[in-house]
Amino acid sequence: MKKIVIALAILLLFTAPWIVSSPFFVHLMIMVLMWAVLGASWNILGGFTGQVSFGHATFLGAGAYTTMILYLKLGIAPWYGIPIGGLVAALIALPIGFICFRLRGPYFALSTLAVAEIIRLVALNWESLTNGPVGLLITTLPDVTFWGRSIDWENKIPFYYIIAVIALAAIVATYIMSRTRLGAYSLAIREDIDSAEAIGINTVQTRVAALSLSAFFAGVAGGFYAMYLRYVDPDAVFSIALSVEMVFIAVVGGLTTVAGPLIGAIVLVTFGETFRQILLVGHLILYGLAMMLAIRYMPEGIWGKLRLWFGARD
Amino acid sequence: METFSQSIVSGILTGSLYAMIGVGLTVIFGVMRIINMAHGDMVMFGMYGAFLSIAFLKIDPFLSIVIWIPLAFFVGVFIYRFLLKNIVPAGELNTLLYTAGLSLFIANFVLLVATGDYRTIKLKYAIMPLRPFGIAVPIPLAIAFGMAILITIALYWFLVRTDTGRAIRATSQEPEAAALMGVNVDRMAIITFALGTALACGAGVLLAPSLYLYPTVGEILVAKCFVIVVLGGLGSVPGAIAGGLLLGVVESLGAVYISVPYKDAIGFVIFLLVLLFRPSGLFGVGKS
Repeated sequence: MKKIVIALAILLLFTAPWIVSSPFFVHLMIMVLMWAVLGASWNILGGFTGQVSFGHATFLGAGAYTTMILYLKLGIAPWYGIPIGGLVAALIALPIGFICFRLRGPYFALSTLAVAEIIRLVALNWESLTNGPVGLLITTLPDVTFWGRSIDWENKIPFYYIIAVIALAAIVATYIMSRTRLGAYSLAIREDIDSAEAIGINTVQTRVAALSLSAFFAGVAGGFYAMYLRYVDPDAVFSIALSVEMVFIAVVGGLTTVAGPLIGAIVLVTFGETFRQILLVGHLILYGLAMMLAIRYMPEGIWGKLRLWFGARD
Repeated sequence: METFSQSIVSGILTGSLYAMIGVGLTVIFGVMRIINMAHGDMVMFGMYGAFLSIAFLKIDPFLSIVIWIPLAFFVGVFIYRFLLKNIVPAGELNTLLYTAGLSLFIANFVLLVATGDYRTIKLKYAIMPLRPFGIAVPIPLAIAFGMAILITIALYWFLVRTDTGRAIRATSQEPEAAALMGVNVDRMAIITFALGTALACGAGVLLAPSLYLYPTVGEILVAKCFVIVVLGGLGSVPGAIAGGLLLGVVESLGAVYISVPYKDAIGFVIFLLVLLFRPSGLFGVGKS
């Protein structure tokens, strides 16, 4: 039963743009999947290890800028740039992790906020690399042929397939993590960090590994974001609001679950983008509201609640 | 030398307002263990309050503080009673996430109502700065400084001299012991939260003539506020005052001697260093 549902979901994921092909809908699905990747990324750290980060925009921004700069300055195609962006984000996560994981609970959260702000200010002022507040813009994407046909980058559908593959990878990675030692160690840390330490888990290493994995996916999503919008500037990719949005999608969807961030993204991004079509600004009001309701009435998130109702074990 | 004393003076002027915001956050943390992410939005409320006063009621923003502080006190009571009270027992991280949600909600609500336009408050008497000893002192900032000092002294007197103030400090030090001594801990929590909110809002009113106002200004202010309270030690009122003044001076010296664009980063770097090496604050009075 469960296998059939998963197979159907994957089938739906790859056929959706053929079922409904209006540009707004394809754009909406791209946004949902991108935010699902970001939510999944945050969930890997925040859900499994219980470390609340308010600075994940750092990794998104690192990925976005890496992809953009590699393409603009060195001519490396985004095809390679996006995974490299993820790796750069994962590397940046190492020093940040070793510094910030000396702190616990809310103090860790505040320190990630500070690091993210420092990095945003650096991106804003290191003009020779990032072009400062003006940002970086690309006009054309390189030609790629796929099965003998050249891809039309003016169409949204190729982007849809790229982000669909990335989202699938993020969800599979979360699943694998939940089944491996890293996941088990992380859960032990989330439940009680002192006990975890006492039974011989290297808590710093585990948390840094989780942060790095999490940063990789945020970086990949960032690289995708840059290529999809063809524009980055420090306030667009390094803002506190972006970090907070990632947290909300993961928490509202359901922490520590494999599908939670996807569900969170479907619900929040769909409502948010629809709201934006009508009123232009202020769609985050829904995010704030959803977050407050979630913490108050269902801290296990939408997916967590559904699982409880259906009595599923996993 | 003149630039040096100039930047010290303007640092202290801004720092006094930072201190006022920081004191609000730190008393709330002390009593309730809440790190209130929505604190910056209370400042934003105050700034818009000042703007509304002058734009519609034609009341001088500095006088309008007598309306907004009591109003913010009641808003604080409301927020605590109906929104936060049930969340607080769920732990520090849940309240952190909850208040982050509240902050996003408030900021975007104001964005919907007031649009994202940058606004300024122009005062007739604010055109030329005062020049005592050749140091330029903008008049609105000087008035704000004076009022911030008065308000902070009043608060300090309240905390140290009155029974309620003593009860608040007792709750902050040891909630269970305070409850055993007959202190109504729940009531102290409401009063403290409302007081913190009123301080933030009051600081917003005072800051409004010196800053641009826009709905998401709280985001930056709350981040600065964390720097201040961590510098001084979370939960310590004198620490927050010192931290606020210190941050103001460091920022204005940094803008002159290091670089204008990086002045905001200096605060965060100090913040990280203090968190890592002196988590109980520079003066070692906070509890971490």
